[in-house]
Amino acid sequence: MGSCFSPKARMNITNHVRAPRLRLLASLVILVAMAALAQPLSADVVYLQGSANPTFNLRFTELLEAELGPDTEVRAFASLRTFDGPAGPVITLGQEALARVLETGTQRQILALLVSPETIAGAAENAGGRMSTVYYDPPLLRQALIGRVILPQASRMALLARPEQIGDYESLTEELADYGIEARVFVVTGDEALIPTLSRALSYGDFLLATPDNVIYNPRTIKHILLTTYRRNRLVIGPSHAFVKAGVLASSYVPLPDYAAEAARFIREWQRTGVLPEPTYPETFSIEINHQVARSLNLPLPDRDEIRAEVRRLLHQSDGEATP
Amino acid sequence: MPASMSLALVATLLTSPAAGADGTEVPPWLALGESGTAEDIYSAVPEVLTTTRLRQPKARVPGTTTVISGETIRDLGMVALADVFRLVPGMTVAAVGTNQPTVSYHGTVAYEQRRLQVLIDGRTGYLPSLADVDWNAMPVPIELIDRIEVSRGPNSAAYGNNAFLASINIITLSPENTAGTGLHAQGGGPSIRNYTAYHGHARDKYSWRVAWHRRESDGYDFQYDSDDAFRKVPIRDGFEFNQFYYDGVLQPSPYHSFEFRAGVTDGIDEDDPLKMGGADLGIQGEPDDEVRDHYLQARYGYSGLDKHLIEFQTSYQRYNRDKDWTSCIQLDGVPLPLCTSLNEDLQQQRLEFELQDTWELNPDLRLVSGLGYREDGYESETFFGGSGEIYQSRLFANLEYTPVYWLTFNAGANYEHTSLLDDNFLSPRLAANLHLTENQTLRFVYSRAVRTPDALEQRANWAYTPENVSPSVYQDLEGQRIDAEYDASSPVDFSGYYAEATGDLDEERITSREISYYGQFRLGHGVLSTEVRYFYDELRDLVAGIINVEDFDLGNRVAIDQQGIELETALDLGDTRLRLAYGYMDQEGRYTANDGLSVEEQQETLAREARLSVRHTGSVSWIQRYPEDWSSALAWYVADEFRSGPYQRADLRVAKSVHGPRVSYDIAVIVQHYLNDNPLLSRDNNYTDRNQFFLEAGVRF
Repeated sequence: MGSCFSPKARMNITNHVRAPRLRLLASLVILVAMAALAQPLSADVVYLQGSANPTFNLRFTELLEAELGPDTEVRAFASLRTFDGPAGPVITLGQEALARVLETGTQRQILALLVSPETIAGAAENAGGRMSTVYYDPPLLRQALIGRVILPQASRMALLARPEQIGDYESLTEELADYGIEARVFVVTGDEALIPTLSRALSYGDFLLATPDNVIYNPRTIKHILLTTYRRNRLVIGPSHAFVKAGVLASSYVPLPDYAAEAARFIREWQRTGVLPEPTYPETFSIEINHQVARSLNLPLPDRDEIRAEVRRLLHQSDGEATP
Repeated sequence: MPASMSLALVATLLTSPAAGADGTEVPPWLALGESGTAEDIYSAVPEVLTTTRLRQPKARVPGTTTVISGETIRDLGMVALADVFRLVPGMTVAAVGTNQPTVSYHGTVAYEQRRLQVLIDGRTGYLPSLADVDWNAMPVPIELIDRIEVSRGPNSAAYGNNAFLASINIITLSPENTAGTGLHAQGGGPSIRNYTAYHGHARDKYSWRVAWHRRESDGYDFQYDSDDAFRKVPIRDGFEFNQFYYDGVLQPSPYHSFEFRAGVTDGIDEDDPLKMGGADLGIQGEPDDEVRDHYLQARYGYSGLDKHLIEFQTSYQRYNRDKDWTSCIQLDGVPLPLCTSLNEDLQQQRLEFELQDTWELNPDLRLVSGLGYREDGYESETFFGGSGEIYQSRLFANLEYTPVYWLTFNAGANYEHTSLLDDNFLSPRLAANLHLTENQTLRFVYSRAVRTPDALEQRANWAYTPENVSPSVYQDLEGQRIDAEYDASSPVDFSGYYAEATGDLDEERITSREISYYGQFRLGHGVLSTEVRYFYDELRDLVAGIINVEDFDLGNRVAIDQQGIELETALDLGDTRLRLAYGYMDQEGRYTANDGLSVEEQQETLAREARLSVRHTGSVSWIQRYPEDWSSALAWYVADEFRSGPYQRADLRVAKSVHGPRVSYDIAVIVQHYLNDNPLLSRDNNYTDRNQFFLEAGVRF
């Protein structure tokens, strides 16, 4: 596949060979051009719309290229403004990048990375069936099981949710019941109600499962949430490993190289079938733990690899096809 | 990751969210940035903070510390604050004279506890002039307790004189943890009624709470008549207090924080005429204390200096107790009784300042140091013949050093000057903690401490001043303080109605050695934590004797050697929480003064000091959760045995909670069952029914 021209590219080249007397010269030019561009022209192409952070874009591109290998070229999506390049899906990094790509009205398939499921759901309506993603936010079931493994005696888990989200957690609540965890949702009706509701939630739950809802959990609120929770000698799990650095006890996450590898798998699938796979969570994950918080809470912790293995075991024990 | 992940590393990670090639890097737009201030978060984690003033995990604490959460206290259905200390191995709780509970660690209590430091949110909680603690009027509702830490063993190195045998630190819930509205009521038993209502808000920079608490009790049910030893008569030892509190936390910027607290207590503390010890005062009325207490407290914290946390705290407390009654006294050799109004009014106040610096050179080398000033004042015509002050100033420090991962040293000391003895005292503590594994620690602790006498012990000038005197033959007594000087010139013998302290008491001293073990284990689906303490204490020059107006007599007379072993273990299985506390103590006292007392009197003095000293103390509790948010708690408390016999009580609490999305409420039934009819310490401390029933209800929204 790597050495073939696309049909469109081949037609363009053919249209440029008109006069028989120039046939030889043209052939020479084509041969020279082919020799000069042998590598790119023989590769598949994916287009990348990066984030506003060039350092991160570079890092991700390196990881992606390493996974895709030399046969697939990663080009800037911006290059399509001046030259309608070869077929290939578009990878976007973050919500802003996705919005930019959608604004261009491109008909290419889009692999939207590092965006929330809600963003994907909204954008997919506009993009028809041309969009997929590799979820970056950890699945809540896995997060809850981390809480269970870290605190094996935990049998009650509290969640905070906005009124319109209550229904979103019904399936999670049912799934957790199979693991012996009784989950309950406490409704945050507004900014003023956050801490009072949290306080009541902590009276119920052995730990708090923080969800990737940036209205409830954000840089402005997380400090108050953690202060309130730790004063009550309770734990917070999630919503992401960024929050672990801010004082949350633990969260699972997908290491960036693994995330890039999963994105590369999607690209290879497109190259094989012409269609991006359905959105999914990466198979691999890691767990980040704030050991200072654990020590302060007098919490004896297993090694994080042991925690991960136990979480995997629980996930597969309940359902062999469970999403990790 | 090494066991001691450094704060510096955390800070580095925070400031470079996209850095690192270990896979933990966070996309910049998903990172929290600087607003996630980890340092502040860590400060909220409830590590042990009483023992050295440093926030320390138990493995690094230089001594055994019991931490009882407010949740446990509430789950067990406690109805009185002092009952909490029945959960602490080695601690005894009993009412020596009236319905006023006395708490001791390893006994050595004759009347009131004098050898414990008690802190409420950092301010000294015992009374300024008597070194006693008024647990009934203490401005701490059970509903608002965050946790109680009991540092078992001398702790003068951190908190100065009076932290002699142990220190108790009561920490109330932060306003942030009670944001919203809560109502709670509890009643039953010996007419105990506790009501609490609070309301507060938690915002980015300012959180506050206002609360009201009402506490009532009728006290014991009956006593025996002083004239007829078998006749049961009602005992007047109830109380009723209304308390109002304000708590506020202000954080105008990340480096500055302020805390403000204020509270008022207003109520009546009843006293029974038959129970007012000493001279026969012929009390006709109701000698109740009118209680008017208040306190103000402020704390400022500054964390803007590299590796330093500066804290300044000040508080002012006022205790006003007005107690007057009518007495008709039959004086020797005078046919007509003297009828008059007498009083035991007492105003006390305490002003405290404290400046403290916590310097963390690195996570393995931390120093807390500071200076404090305290001014205890009192005014009572009856007890002191006027007013007086005691000034204390002190320097303190504790260094925590972990040179290798398996060893932590703590070295601390307190250097204090008190105007009461016009002397300086040094109280040091040294400890080595061997970390056998990440979750097991063996401690070796050596400490020395002193207790200086309280104002009443050293400066009592106890005499009554009659007012509204009748009949007219006694008019000369009107407004006359009946003290030794007056008695010398009076034809009537008043010698049983006044007393004066000799004023020559010295400090008490203790040398304590501790070997303790702390371990935590994951056990199946639970966590088992165990703490075992062996102690050997030498107490010298203990002040012993009698404190009442008729026989007031105190001296540095007693030495005690005591040793024992204490166990505290808890198994948390989530729905099941089990806890066991047990203390065993051998105590041997001897009379050391050469003051001419007979052997019988010496033995009596020793026995009086050992009123709250018991060989076995313990408790077992089992808290169980059931489906549908039902729960139960079963507890058994034992102290075996006081001079008057053993104390054994079993409590059961059954509760139903409802955790709605927008409101939570719970109701509960509590039964306290006394396993014997033995009246504790006094034959007048009687309940008619060995079963006490209570109802409880609360709502939060």
